Amino acid sequence: MAILRRTIAVLGIIWFFSASAPPVLAGEPDASLHGDQVCTRCHDETESRPVLAIYKTAHGVKADSRTPGCQSCHGSSEAHVTNPKGSSTRPPVDVDFNPRGANPPEILARTCLNCHQNGQRAHWEGSEHEHSGLVCTSCHEIHTHGDRVLNKVSQPDVCLTCHTTQRAQFHRVSTHPVTAGEMACSDCHNPHGSVGPKLMVKNSVNETCYTCHADRRGPFLWEHSPVAEDCTNCHTPHGSNNAPLLKARTPWLCQECHTSDHSGPMNSGANLPNGNATTLGGLLPLGNQAPRSQMNGRNCLSCHALIHGSNHPAGARFSK
Amino acid sequence: MKHMKKPRLHSTARVRGPTAYGAIAVSAFLANGQNAIAADAKAAEDPAVAALTQPTSSIDIGGGNVSSSSYKFGEYNGLEDKGGFAVGDVDISGGGRYDSDSVTRWNLRANDVGLQASDARFDFKEQGRFKIDLGFDDWRHNLSDTYQSPYLGLGSTDLTLPSGWQKPIVPQVSPTSLNYRSLSPVAGQGSAVSPSGQVVAPTASQLATLDGIVAADTGAFHPFNLHTVRKQGEVGFQVNLSPELLASGSFRHEAKTGYQPIGAVTSQVQENSVVIPNVVDNTTDQLNLGLEYAHRKFFVQAGYYGSIFKNNVSSMSWQDPNDPTKTASMSSAPSNHFNQFNLVGGMNFSPGTKLVADLSYGRAEQNQSFLKDDSLPIGLPEISANALVVTKLASVKLTTRVTPKLSLFARYKFDDRANETPVATFAFYDVNIPKGATSSAFNTALGLLPGTLSSNVNIFADRPQSKKDNAFSLGGDYSLGHGQKLSGGYEWEKIERTCDGTWINCSSAPESIERTFHGDWHAPLFQDVEARVNYGYSERRVRYDSNAWLALVPMAGVIPGAPIVGATTGVYGYLQQTGLTGFGPLLGFPTTPLTGNAAIFSPNNNIVPQSLYGSRDNVSELPGMRRFNLADRDRDRLRFSLDWQATDRLSLTNNVEYDRNNYLNSLYGLQKSTNWAVGLDGTYTLSDRLTASAFFTHEDQTSRTAGDGYGSNTNVAFIGRAGNTIVDGSCYTTVLERNENGKNDPCLRWDSNMHDRADTFGMTFAWNGLLSHKLDLSTDLVYSRARTDIAVDGASYSNNPFALKAPAPVLPAGTPAVFLVPAADLPAVVTRTVDVRLSGRYALTQKSDVRLVYEYARTKVDDFAYQGLQLGTGTEQLPTLQQAPDYVVQVVALFYRYRF
Repeated sequence: MAILRRTIAVLGIIWFFSASAPPVLAGEPDASLHGDQVCTRCHDETESRPVLAIYKTAHGVKADSRTPGCQSCHGSSEAHVTNPKGSSTRPPVDVDFNPRGANPPEILARTCLNCHQNGQRAHWEGSEHEHSGLVCTSCHEIHTHGDRVLNKVSQPDVCLTCHTTQRAQFHRVSTHPVTAGEMACSDCHNPHGSVGPKLMVKNSVNETCYTCHADRRGPFLWEHSPVAEDCTNCHTPHGSNNAPLLKARTPWLCQECHTSDHSGPMNSGANLPNGNATTLGGLLPLGNQAPRSQMNGRNCLSCHALIHGSNHPAGARFSK
Repeated sequence: MKHMKKPRLHSTARVRGPTAYGAIAVSAFLANGQNAIAADAKAAEDPAVAALTQPTSSIDIGGGNVSSSSYKFGEYNGLEDKGGFAVGDVDISGGGRYDSDSVTRWNLRANDVGLQASDARFDFKEQGRFKIDLGFDDWRHNLSDTYQSPYLGLGSTDLTLPSGWQKPIVPQVSPTSLNYRSLSPVAGQGSAVSPSGQVVAPTASQLATLDGIVAADTGAFHPFNLHTVRKQGEVGFQVNLSPELLASGSFRHEAKTGYQPIGAVTSQVQENSVVIPNVVDNTTDQLNLGLEYAHRKFFVQAGYYGSIFKNNVSSMSWQDPNDPTKTASMSSAPSNHFNQFNLVGGMNFSPGTKLVADLSYGRAEQNQSFLKDDSLPIGLPEISANALVVTKLASVKLTTRVTPKLSLFARYKFDDRANETPVATFAFYDVNIPKGATSSAFNTALGLLPGTLSSNVNIFADRPQSKKDNAFSLGGDYSLGHGQKLSGGYEWEKIERTCDGTWINCSSAPESIERTFHGDWHAPLFQDVEARVNYGYSERRVRYDSNAWLALVPMAGVIPGAPIVGATTGVYGYLQQTGLTGFGPLLGFPTTPLTGNAAIFSPNNNIVPQSLYGSRDNVSELPGMRRFNLADRDRDRLRFSLDWQATDRLSLTNNVEYDRNNYLNSLYGLQKSTNWAVGLDGTYTLSDRLTASAFFTHEDQTSRTAGDGYGSNTNVAFIGRAGNTIVDGSCYTTVLERNENGKNDPCLRWDSNMHDRADTFGMTFAWNGLLSHKLDLSTDLVYSRARTDIAVDGASYSNNPFALKAPAPVLPAGTPAVFLVPAADLPAVVTRTVDVRLSGRYALTQKSDVRLVYEYARTKVDDFAYQGLQLGTGTEQLPTLQQAPDYVVQVVALFYRYRF
């Protein structure tokens, strides 16, 4: 009973504060073609921007009763339509999606979310992109047949306009095939918001990775704990100079966590085939030279190859 | 209020590396198609309206030529082979007119048809009623076209050596020890030090042996290309059961085949290994089902996700080059499945206040039967792992716009990964390690006859690790007016790590707490200039358990029996009593003999002998080692961006990112890492038809790791002969002094500093509407240079090769028996890529055009890792002869597009 009273109190407080929130734009616009003519008699085929191209898209299917009209999104815009003062520059529309327009982001976002609030947009409010002041039209092109973010080939161009570090990382020697057009950013990230970290499409980084790399899911008899916790403990998924998509090279990556047995000793250039430890400055004859195996070639992964986990009874060292 | 919107790229091609060529046709259409349509629109009014309002379809066909074969160039784009290729794209739309009564729409889109990088999608819908989509994707990932191997049966799961295979040895060094340097006539035929301390060249007989090895073994190497192919088919649907109720589902089937290089050990104790092409043959099926109810005020979504991974390969086996009568094997990833139920609900209390809650329950399972082999001396406690991980998630998030200027949010998230895999104990010998002569101290404890297991057996228990994560977040934004906004937030996160069923705590970090503060300021600085600064500070503190590794070795809780005499406790009890870790006392050789348990568990103050906890090799870590993902950490994170619309034609953007991680209590392991990046972007619109853009990004990452190559304490005073006592080192000058302090020798402590730097530069020009709007030209250039430097401080000891036992003489007076060899930095790993793309599109008619594309791609990788894969380098690793990528590839392609 006490819990119920507290819950009601909390909801009441929420309701009280939310009452002072900005009102919804008023008016039920005419979403038919007739209603659109208010706008399209000026914004016609001669418009420098192809506004009529919206009729090629889902937003232009007038037989669908849910389809908006121009004023459904841009508002009735009386001042813009009538220009009562006869200004040479018409007043702007009520809802102007121009990035330098006067409408705050929450108004612009709500315009779209009135219809698209659920599905992938369930977590928009409070998401990283929303917090950064982005709105739907920051990424989506509505008056275009062929919204670039809806095409996996062109989607990275939109995302990488802002995410310039990731744009550079996709030019590293080891990458996911995003800029090759085989993957889209949205295969891993939900830009509209997510319950997972880093806007992952799934609840966690690992669950997202397992959608393509299910062989790493296990569960294995012998788990490698940093693997099971978070793939990004070792990997950097956008691009790396250290294949395969590693944050650091092996064996030093391994030595960030391991000091036991043969993982402890130093690995340096002196252990390379022509290094000083291998040749002893020329003192050691060629026949006796033995470069340190933990240093060369595939180093640790020469033996500990099943590093993501092993299901063999004798696989505790990830070699079987 | 101004929004943070970055200048758009004007050409889609420049952000891509080697890529699908049909994709260029699609993306160019998306970028330029409207221009073409606008051009067509000028011809007539009605056709102009129609062109703008009716979906446009297009078919592209084309072909070209690739100048050189390169797996790296063709890594993902299907153009790895030299020669001609044909490719096509399709984008066809149909259905009713926008102003008709029909809600039917369909679209068929296919890219890169003709290359092994193609995809196709067909959507059919009656908008507002239902939608069906079908998809297909096929892509190849090229890994290496320079891999070579002497094994027969490459591409199968059982690899054998040629019948004439000879054990690689360097007979003048050892007539019995495996030594792959013999595969090189230069390295293998080098002189060696004889037992009498002389440098001798190989004898004629030894040379004949070496020549035979080269002829038989080196001659057996042959190439085998490594690549994988994924083929995906997908079907999906959406049905509007009512205006508020939507049902959806999708099913995707993927088949992955191919060959990936994988290390394969042939002797664990000798550290001998080969690299084999691991056969990949698996399928992944994923099913999504969803039901959404959406009301103006609230919504509920229920969903199911199921994934079945089936591996058609259970194991790989390969003959041991050291002894082809022996075979080693490894298991492949087990088939597994995952089922998850998700529930999301949201309530809009008002337009500015929303509550969203998530619930999720998932089960990941596998019970693939264990592989049995000779490494299991007493059989298995169970036939499969019966592995199960249950994941649960609960999240509640409240966002509210309290006033037009102030918004707040609060969130609680619970994320639980419960590993319910049963714990069992497994006894096994490492790969190709025979049973030793000394009896294990745990035969009796395991109910076995004395001598059943030897002291080099591993008696390990699995550790099913679970993780429970609770996180609270609070934050808010406040608008200061005129586009200025302040934000701040706080997050508290507690993670608990446990194992269910292990005999002691299994996690090095059973509990960690992290607190994060962040602030953000966003404002227009001047007219047309917007700035944003974001700073976050996190502090993570961990309760660390340095002896958690003992959960792996249950015999640590057992008092060792014969042949050990006199122990009154097990390893765990000893460490508890003394407060030590498995590393033992931080002392040198004891001045007086140890007695009792100390003599047994810390002989000579050394590490706990691994045989006393049932392991072939040492498993304990150094005191002060902290696994970085479980270590105390302070983190700073700074983001800065500046957008400047300098003029109507010129826009500039600058981004700065900075992250610093300080693992403040990590004496060993990762201690610090710093990442920062600076990006500059500019776009200049010279005219309506001519635009130019450029970008530059510099990334810089550094990390420091510390370690220690500690040895053992002994009172051995010489190397080989009694007179060989000098150490040429900075910490100790005699062999005795060094050996007495083997564990604590400061000269064996080392640091590695890794520094990754990358510069990426790109430029694009687009010139449209030439020749009476018939010709569009564009060019893209991307240059990238990434460099990894690894600097190492420290040293290691090497014995003088002439400091041998009799009959070798004592070293001349003053000659060191041991050298302290300082560390050397690694050669820089440098990757340079240049990609230049020129493209021209000429409109033949209003409906058709031709496009000519030329690409120049150059990549060169300098990577010391490849050195160790060549003949004559490693002694213990069979070479693969792989070469670092180094290519110049030119592609010319011509496309014809028809629009309708």
